[in-house]
Amino acid sequence: MTQVMKGVRILEVAQFTFVPAAGAILADWGADVIKIEHPVRGDAQRGFVNLGGMKLDPARNPLMEHPNRGKRSVGIDISTPLGCELLHEIARTADVFLTNYLPAQRQKLRCDLEHIRAANPRIIYARGSALGDKGPEREIGGFDGTAFWSRGAIGFCMSPPELPGPLTQGIPAFGDSIGGMSIAGGIAAALFHRQRTGEALELDVSLLSTAWWAAGTSLDYTMESGSMIRNRMPVSGASAGNPFSGNYRTSDGGTINLCMLTPGPYIRDTFQHLGIPQAADDPRFCEARSLMSHADAASELIARVFATKPFDYWRQHLRTLKGQWAPVQSLSDLATDEQALANDMLVEVEAVDGGRPVKLVRGPVQFNHEPVRTTRAPQASEHTETFLMELGLEWERIETLKAAGAIA
Amino acid sequence: MKAGTRLKSIVCDTEVMVIRGADVVVECGGAPMAEARPAARAAINPGFAQGTLIGKRYVDAAGTIELLCVKPGQGSLAIGGVALQVKDAKPLPASD
Repeated sequence: MTQVMKGVRILEVAQFTFVPAAGAILADWGADVIKIEHPVRGDAQRGFVNLGGMKLDPARNPLMEHPNRGKRSVGIDISTPLGCELLHEIARTADVFLTNYLPAQRQKLRCDLEHIRAANPRIIYARGSALGDKGPEREIGGFDGTAFWSRGAIGFCMSPPELPGPLTQGIPAFGDSIGGMSIAGGIAAALFHRQRTGEALELDVSLLSTAWWAAGTSLDYTMESGSMIRNRMPVSGASAGNPFSGNYRTSDGGTINLCMLTPGPYIRDTFQHLGIPQAADDPRFCEARSLMSHADAASELIARVFATKPFDYWRQHLRTLKGQWAPVQSLSDLATDEQALANDMLVEVEAVDGGRPVKLVRGPVQFNHEPVRTTRAPQASEHTETFLMELGLEWERIETLKAAGAIA
Repeated sequence: MKAGTRLKSIVCDTEVMVIRGADVVVECGGAPMAEARPAARAAINPGFAQGTLIGKRYVDAAGTIELLCVKPGQGSLAIGGVALQVKDAKPLPASD
């Protein structure tokens, strides 16, 4: 893919997924991302033994690969004076400083805005946080499960009120991955602004602001009307008022989603596909207004028809349907979805053991129809010496730093 | 053996860069590594066939040697028949 970020260096002092994912997107786009890790502990994410209750293979760990592919890892203990000095030296060569350290830690570690800008006045300073860099709770950390899903009301919206409580996030790093893309977009805009005006900006994205944006239409509606839109319990049948919009169960327990929000133009074609062409001539269903006012009767009829044939039948048969619809896919279905693969959504990187390649998901943006080429996530501190030599350090100084415990 | 030197396995694809050196002979797959790979591969000793992982650092117990694997292979690294250990990050256990 066109390396739109070629020549841009991102200095990342961050852990977990949300903020590193921004670095990963920028690396997909061609940036030189230098990930600073603690020489002994590494990114805290390396310690994850479980993902969504499943065991993780540390050599093929999606929690490391997803947010860190394409980067170089340099092990520096930035809490040591020599390590801190080295960080500032690297900052002088970087375009963007990317961090999710909390305000007090940034200050203590001298990687706050003032110190990084003192090293490089032209550097863009990008912060990711749980709750935002202003206000009484700016010092509070968090994960997407807290700031995005729980506090950010996503869990509330997703969970039908009939359930005994809200659903949990269900997708590890769900809010992180959305939020990371937002940071990457903000950085791209800040680089553009710097190019045009010479001004280097600070930018903030929080997991809370990510939830506000992701739930934006619902939240706008609530602020306007005082009412709240929430998920309903699953049924085989239409959403209120439109029989061509809803989930319908197939004979083998699969689900087909219809989403013809403007049903009028699709009435005859839809009933034909469902094998009940005569319904299109029924005065209750023959045009949009009457169809919508007889939504319950139409929904019942359609639910009965879907229940007569299996998922795979409908999946094939509805391919020529003019209106909007989708098979409700599982993750395994999605991983082999030919349309996704035709759009290069899957990226393969070499495995650390030289074994079968690791399959990864690419970022959502594609340039010029070209697939992403990237490399696996680095091992902790993998590039310390090679990067420092590239930076111009003599081996003697590298040995001194090593002896002092400042680098891996 | 100077820092920065690259050593190649004569039994597999493994290649390492010397990060911290000492005057010792490093073996891979049971055979001494060399700066140039011979035309024909030697046989791997099954006792030293646990494999190497790219990007990992390998150290001896005394901490006098540190090698960075730059190409993985089937052999495993040793000095004088004593297997080298992976110098791994030691994060706190966590779960998502």
